[in-house]
Amino acid sequence: MAKKLSRRSFLECALAGGAAAGTANLTIMRDAFAQASGPIVIGHHCDLTGAISSWGFWHDKAAKAAVDLINQGGGIAGRKLELATEDTESNPASGARKLRNLIQRTNAEFIVGSVHSGVMLSSIPIATELKTIYFSTGEATEATGSKGTRFSFRTGTDTYSIAAASLPWCVESFGKVWTIIYADYAWGQSTAQESKVYIERAGGKVLNAIPVPLDAKDFVPYLAQISADTEVLLPAFIGSLSVAFYTQAKSMGLDKKMKMYSSSASIEAIAPDDIQGAAEGVYFFENFPRQLKAKDDGFHKQFNKLVGIDDVDAREVGGQRVMDKSHGWQAWEDIFALKQAIEASGYKTRKDVEGVIQALEGMQMTNSLAHPQGDKIIRKQDHVGIIDCYISRVENGKLEVKKRIPKEELAQNMPLRHNLSEMPV
Amino acid sequence: MTRRSIEIGMAVSAATFLISVPWLIPALTDNFWVSVITEILIWSLFAASANLLFGYVGLLSFGQALYFGFGMYGVALGIDHLGLSFWPAFGLGIVSAIAMALVSGVFAVRLSWHYFAIITVVFSLIFYFLAVSMKPLTGGDDGINFSLPPVFRFGGSIWSLTDPTFQYFFVLAVVSLCFFLMYRVINSPLGKGFLAIRDNDLRASLIGLNVYVLRLIAFVMAGFLAGVSGALFAFFGRYASASYMFYQVSGEAVVWTIVGGAGTMFGPLVGTTLFIVIREIVSSHWEHHSLIVGLLAILAVIFAPKGIVGLWNGWMTRLGERDAASAPPRLTLQAEP
Repeated sequence: MAKKLSRRSFLECALAGGAAAGTANLTIMRDAFAQASGPIVIGHHCDLTGAISSWGFWHDKAAKAAVDLINQGGGIAGRKLELATEDTESNPASGARKLRNLIQRTNAEFIVGSVHSGVMLSSIPIATELKTIYFSTGEATEATGSKGTRFSFRTGTDTYSIAAASLPWCVESFGKVWTIIYADYAWGQSTAQESKVYIERAGGKVLNAIPVPLDAKDFVPYLAQISADTEVLLPAFIGSLSVAFYTQAKSMGLDKKMKMYSSSASIEAIAPDDIQGAAEGVYFFENFPRQLKAKDDGFHKQFNKLVGIDDVDAREVGGQRVMDKSHGWQAWEDIFALKQAIEASGYKTRKDVEGVIQALEGMQMTNSLAHPQGDKIIRKQDHVGIIDCYISRVENGKLEVKKRIPKEELAQNMPLRHNLSEMPV
Repeated sequence: MTRRSIEIGMAVSAATFLISVPWLIPALTDNFWVSVITEILIWSLFAASANLLFGYVGLLSFGQALYFGFGMYGVALGIDHLGLSFWPAFGLGIVSAIAMALVSGVFAVRLSWHYFAIITVVFSLIFYFLAVSMKPLTGGDDGINFSLPPVFRFGGSIWSLTDPTFQYFFVLAVVSLCFFLMYRVINSPLGKGFLAIRDNDLRASLIGLNVYVLRLIAFVMAGFLAGVSGALFAFFGRYASASYMFYQVSGEAVVWTIVGGAGTMFGPLVGTTLFIVIREIVSSHWEHHSLIVGLLAILAVIFAPKGIVGLWNGWMTRLGERDAASAPPRLTLQAEP
């Protein structure tokens, strides 16, 4: 009996190995390293499906449009630019796998990364190990903070910079007594934590921080915890949870009792017009105004045209989708930032990546079609985008800019917490 | 060709392939597939934990992701928060998973069938939501990433999982050891007790087996296997996240096991290989690749209820019977009585 079982298990082992061998892709692929004269491959680690796909759609569109534009202008350093896109499925496990796929299989030399915090944080160690620059487009501050490396960069804002840019003005303008209500997961918790620090630093007080489970359908038990003394409410929700929150808060008349201020993520891919006035009167942080008139220049207008959105709601021309404009621009600009750094450093192959990193550290970008969001700098030490920010209010169903916060003010309000530029390559 | 020669041929091919992966694969295709095969080994160990319970004890668990997650977090917290080196962190991951399996098993194995399945899902969900909400400790769904400490230091040389070849062989060694341990247990008197409970727990209790204790032992062992796989996956990904503790992850292990062959030693490895390779090939071209998983699971349940390995074993048994029938009668020196 024992002999029979032993033989069978031996056979089963053989079968498994055979299956693995038989299914392995035996096609000879391209060289592991891009040739100095061949195309440069940028990988797009894009959330095309899953929870955050309504944003990923726009990142994909923006990245493709940017690559087309660069190739029309002669590519990067005279080499054609190729974009390889992989769907992260808005899932850290899939995202990590797809990143290896992009780098090891598709030979992507640089990565324009996910907007999903979990995906980008799971990706950074892999990108670092494979010595590949990874631009995060999401808001987890850890990506260029405590979990950042020499290879992790961002041109946009994170929960730290959003709080630093906006809350000093908000506390002064809206009131000193705040309540925070947030989706009880990483982004909501991070927003609550960073915001509390800056509200208190500006002389305000946070009465309560109320976590709401992700599967909440009825907000009443949580809205009931908001103190009547609250002057300003800071909600932190995304997507359908955000719509549900504003709808129920409005029906309870909270908008008449207190001001509300939230991050751009709460209204991304949503046109205020489409939610029947639920967000009317609410203030939102933006880093690329939805309305052209708020940053009225030809670069912004041309960007809108090339990405295929209107100049008011950032809505798809001829469609209903709304762009996540305060995040989606990064998929465009990150590619141009890489182009600038590659050309400045004389990059030829992967072994020259350190030069690109050094070029990116402290790199200044000028308001142009390449950088339609505006002038900006990637701060050398923490690899964070220092950019102009805006605070807008929903009025008659449109986001109207009320305050522009210059990038210099952001830099001043956001002291360095980490120095990634001293880490080894 | 006889059954034995087929078996030997397959075994030699498999062993040769597995040992040559780090050199063979890059010569034929790209390094990416070495990572995929490493991942297959880890996930097949996870599926083996579901198989131990379902295939050998008759307990359908949708909660193995909980122990996988504890294995992951033991490693990640050990390295990132406690500053542990490789082996203590690995040990912490495994011990955490075993401890959690013991605590939840005390309650879960009192139940059977759908009640057991439900309680395993409930445990998984409780700790999933706890992990999501405890961001300062767990990183929530953002997770925790960490830098790998070296595995060994010999004088001036350092062995680390950052070397893909070393990583592959490390994972292969650990997974092989776990499968060997499982094989020894299944073929021991303890394993026979598991099978007796699977086939008829009432009869098993009537012949003096303590069904509760045996189920608890199996549950903790399955937690151990899931914990080892979780710890390996944390090392492989340099990352841990609450999202891996969701019951859907457990469900994948059950599907891989059923399609590969529940109650067979290497069924989970075959099922996992099949689905991960399909996923890697299809997912770059078609985002709805999981539909294929569903279709294959349905086909397997209808046409191969014992899974691919069960089907193969059936063919081999028939081949063995044919060999025996066609063999010449055995000559003996002694006269028949």
